[in-house]
Amino acid sequence: MLRIQNVSKTYPNGTQALKNVSFDVADGEFLVVIGLSGSGKSTLLRCINRLIEPTEGKIVWDDVDITTASPAELRQIRRKIGMVFQQFNLVKRSSVLTNVLSGRLGYANPWASLLGIWPQEDKQRAMQALERVGIAEKAHSRADALSGGQQQRVGIARALMQDPKLILADEPVASLDPVLSHSILQYLEQLNKDGITVICSLHFLDLVHRYATRVVALKDGVKVFEGTPNEIDRAKFKEIYGEEAQEVRAASL
Amino acid sequence: MSKQVSTAIISALVPGLGQFLLGERYRGSGILIGFLLILATTLWYGQPLWYLSPLSIWLWNVWDAFHLALGRRHSVLLPLAFGLAAAYGIGWQVVEIDFSRANMERAIAILRPMTRPDFIQPRRELNQMWVPVEVPCSSQPPAARRDEGGRAAFVMPDCGRVSETLIVSVSGLWPNTATDIYWQTPIGNSLMLGEGEITMLTLPTDENGALTTTIRVPTTALVAAPDPTLPQFHRVYFEQSRPIGGYELSFIGSEVLKGALATVSMALMATGLAVLFAVPLSFLAARNLMSGNPLTYAIYLIVRTLLNILRSIESLIIAIVFVVIVGLGPFAGMLALALHSVAALGKLYSEVIEGIDPGPIEAIRATGANWLQVVRYAVIPQIIPPFTAFTIYRWDINVRSATVIGLVGGGGIGFLLIELIRVNNMRGVSAVFIAIAAIVIVLDYFSAKLRERLV
Amino acid sequence: MPLPRLLRNTLITALVIAAFVISYRVTEADFPRLLRDLPKGRELLTAFLTPDIVQRDLETRTISIAFPIPCGSAAVEDSPPSQGPRLVPGVNCAAPLEKFTLEGFDLQPNSEVVIRWRLPNERTMTAIRTQTDAKGYFRQEVQARPIQATVNGIPSRLEVDTLTPVGGLKPSQALKDVMDNMFVTIFMALLSTTLATLIAAPLSFLAASNITRKGCIGTAVYYAFRSFFNLMRSYDPLVMATVFGFWLSFGPFPGFLALTVVTIASLGKLFSEAVENIDPGPVEALQAVGAPSLHTVRYAVVPQVIPDFVSYIIYHWDINVRISTIIGFVGGGGIGYYLNLSINDFKWNQAGTAIWAIVIVVWMMDFLSAEVRKRLT
Ligand SMILES: Nc1ncnc2c1ncn2[C@@H]1O[C@H](COP(=O)(O)OP(=O)(O)O)[C@@H](O)[C@H]1O
Ligand SMILES: [Mg+2]
Repeated sequence: MLRIQNVSKTYPNGTQALKNVSFDVADGEFLVVIGLSGSGKSTLLRCINRLIEPTEGKIVWDDVDITTASPAELRQIRRKIGMVFQQFNLVKRSSVLTNVLSGRLGYANPWASLLGIWPQEDKQRAMQALERVGIAEKAHSRADALSGGQQQRVGIARALMQDPKLILADEPVASLDPVLSHSILQYLEQLNKDGITVICSLHFLDLVHRYATRVVALKDGVKVFEGTPNEIDRAKFKEIYGEEAQEVRAASL
Repeated sequence: MSKQVSTAIISALVPGLGQFLLGERYRGSGILIGFLLILATTLWYGQPLWYLSPLSIWLWNVWDAFHLALGRRHSVLLPLAFGLAAAYGIGWQVVEIDFSRANMERAIAILRPMTRPDFIQPRRELNQMWVPVEVPCSSQPPAARRDEGGRAAFVMPDCGRVSETLIVSVSGLWPNTATDIYWQTPIGNSLMLGEGEITMLTLPTDENGALTTTIRVPTTALVAAPDPTLPQFHRVYFEQSRPIGGYELSFIGSEVLKGALATVSMALMATGLAVLFAVPLSFLAARNLMSGNPLTYAIYLIVRTLLNILRSIESLIIAIVFVVIVGLGPFAGMLALALHSVAALGKLYSEVIEGIDPGPIEAIRATGANWLQVVRYAVIPQIIPPFTAFTIYRWDINVRSATVIGLVGGGGIGFLLIELIRVNNMRGVSAVFIAIAAIVIVLDYFSAKLRERLV
Repeated sequence: MPLPRLLRNTLITALVIAAFVISYRVTEADFPRLLRDLPKGRELLTAFLTPDIVQRDLETRTISIAFPIPCGSAAVEDSPPSQGPRLVPGVNCAAPLEKFTLEGFDLQPNSEVVIRWRLPNERTMTAIRTQTDAKGYFRQEVQARPIQATVNGIPSRLEVDTLTPVGGLKPSQALKDVMDNMFVTIFMALLSTTLATLIAAPLSFLAASNITRKGCIGTAVYYAFRSFFNLMRSYDPLVMATVFGFWLSFGPFPGFLALTVVTIASLGKLFSEAVENIDPGPVEALQAVGAPSLHTVRYAVVPQVIPDFVSYIIYHWDINVRISTIIGFVGGGGIGYYLNLSINDFKWNQAGTAIWAIVIVVWMMDFLSAEVRKRLT
């Protein structure tokens, strides 16, 4: 159970990216965060694993307060939270295998891993993760030799290495074409069915309807909606996306 | 004979040939060149230990040829490591690296005065008195005493030989003030009278401004005398100074400022002069303009080659030649910088000309413009911004070079630096270092700003 | 053109002109002198263009005769044979300061001749050089000096060496010395670039804002290293070498150290900029994974910066070879030191050899480093 309680974030330059946002995420949910670009989705997701420090509020995960965790505790928490990024965030010049293995850094022996030495067990686990996302044969290619969809699958495999209980996916398909989008989200859906909680920010409403078990909508940093996908009707949509968003909706629904 | 054995034997005879014949061209020639290079180096710098390196590479090469013929490729990391080991080992020996020579006491002795750069000094007033003394004694030495402006000084006895002890006395100076006492020979050399004749003898005056002490006639007092048996008048000096408030530029400080100005001026003049010559030359060195007929192409080749040769000779070396021709001083340094810059700028400019876009030229020509108009409206607008950017870049480099050109007599702040080091004036050296950093950092900043605005 | 802009442009032009006028005076520019003295440079240039590369072995033959000063102080030489190599002075003996002619017959033809006195105490003095003609004849005016006087009945002797080139051409001593010193130069550049890389690479992370500039201490460290790099970079390695030479006395070692210090600063700056320009995504990803910060650097930053680092190292190795060719001028050892010595001894041909060696090596390095860097990108 993840509880987000009255979280606000003000950036040093004065931008208020989140304003008093609260909601709960039950274990096993596939929660989708929607909102216009700049509405604070990325900020919200990064507050959960404290890549960004929230200015106010509390985030409690399984009765542990993430917001007040010490650096060492935070690393313990982070290694249970996988993250998938819009721009994949792979080290382009490293091999796919190394990228996947680096997902294990929260667990690995600090000295051996600093020298690039990995236990056989971790390597096997990495190959399994790659098999699970269907690109085991690419393990020794350089990451930038892969297509966008394949790179995102590497990103998911890296998250799997963490043995996560929660996956944060920040617009994982925004850089991909629609067909690939579905395949990536299907992997996430599969993981969700296997018991991992997923919090995912998305742009396209059709994807929301297809994958989400629950939806949270942000507008200018304020939570404007929380409910099931079916509850988003025309009026709600306008409220979230604004009047001029008509066309986009037509196109995306 | 099996293929791998024959390949191995071929590679044993000529390293890399076996690999080459197996179709591994790069590997084969790489092995040969690397082997010969290392072998030549070790032969030149023969030390038995380093022969291990070419030997190991040779052995590896035979082994590699054998395995390659079997279809097994190995990493070249191993021979590379052998080669590097030899290179660094020989290098270490040749460069005479010896960290035990790094004497920390001496470093501190050099660095401590550098914390007090000699740039400005408190304004002081001087109170100076001297008395003549004959060395060696004549038959009738005149009285060694002197009165001036209420001050009196004398020496007892009236004359002396080298290393003899004399009593000196002075009165009427400022009371309770440290007084430097030193010797001056007839030709004006100042000699110190303190411990071992390498420190200044400094004593305070009493409350009446008087002082009496013994000194020894310096052992070097007669070194430069034409005839050591001829009695001559030397002087004993008494010198006091006291602050009178405020600060003034010290002598070294003013020299540093002059040097800094000369450095910047040299760079400016050199860059200006270089531009004058480099612009016409760059057209002659532009391939696209000169490849029309054999004559112009020959000119192109000659100009290009000359520019390339000049460019690879550091301005410091050119400076030596100019020092021989026009003598020591900033003019020689400026000419050297200018000549080197002509070559460097000529090359950069000509590359700009070679890279201009033919589109605009065609377009202007299509409007019926004549040759001059084409140059004015299609060529010049394209080359002015990069020319200017390269010129500013060059001026930047020239300022840096101008700081060192003085080291070979080319004038500017480098000349001052080497003079100060020669006389062990580390406070002055420190002032020079500050000035150099200030010049370079400030001009760096401005030229970066200027170039930013241009592009 | 609007008036303020016109005014501004006029002002800038005036300032530039003023700057050039001041510079002209400060640099003591004297172009008439340059034109007048340019012929002096001709001699230099011809010497540079005929570098000392090959030489032939010299065969030395020596003959001598006794020559009493003053007359009667010792027995004079028997009258010389009328055939074979022989020395014939115009007089058999001479008073001090008297001048006489010395002739040599049937010596080695077309050879260099060195005439000197061998004093009674076996010391030699006053070498005069001349040349024999095709028949092996030379003639030279010699002066008898008091110091060459007979001692205890032993007269001084006039000795003549003829130096005849024999055998084929072989590499000259100058060429060998140049090669020797070139080695020192190249190794100096290699070692200093390597050492500087080893030091600058870790330090550069401390001067990269995206890695270090966090919190109070981090910011302080960042500014400290940044300013250190900027300050040290402003010194030419030769300026540094003067002080290092003063500290460690002369030789390649202080030159190597000076080069290393400046290269650390320069590479440190370039490296830290490369680190600052990385894609921050992977860093974020590894932070999210719970990796310790050192590991984040190792896995997310290092792989990204390696190509830039390598390219900068090669570029600097090229620069350092150039600089180490001249660092010897301030006592840093290597080819520059040799060149400086040759010039101070007015051995222009020898200097020419060194200069050509520098040109060739610099060209080769230029070419190599450009090729390697082209491959890398
Ligand atoms: N590092 C930052 N510094 C200042 N403002 C930021 C920063 N990151 C994001 N913002 C601002 O915060 C708001 C929310 O951004 P973000 O969370 O990225 O939105 P989304 O992911 O929904 O597009 C935007 O107005 C954005 O400009
Ligand atoms: Mg976003």
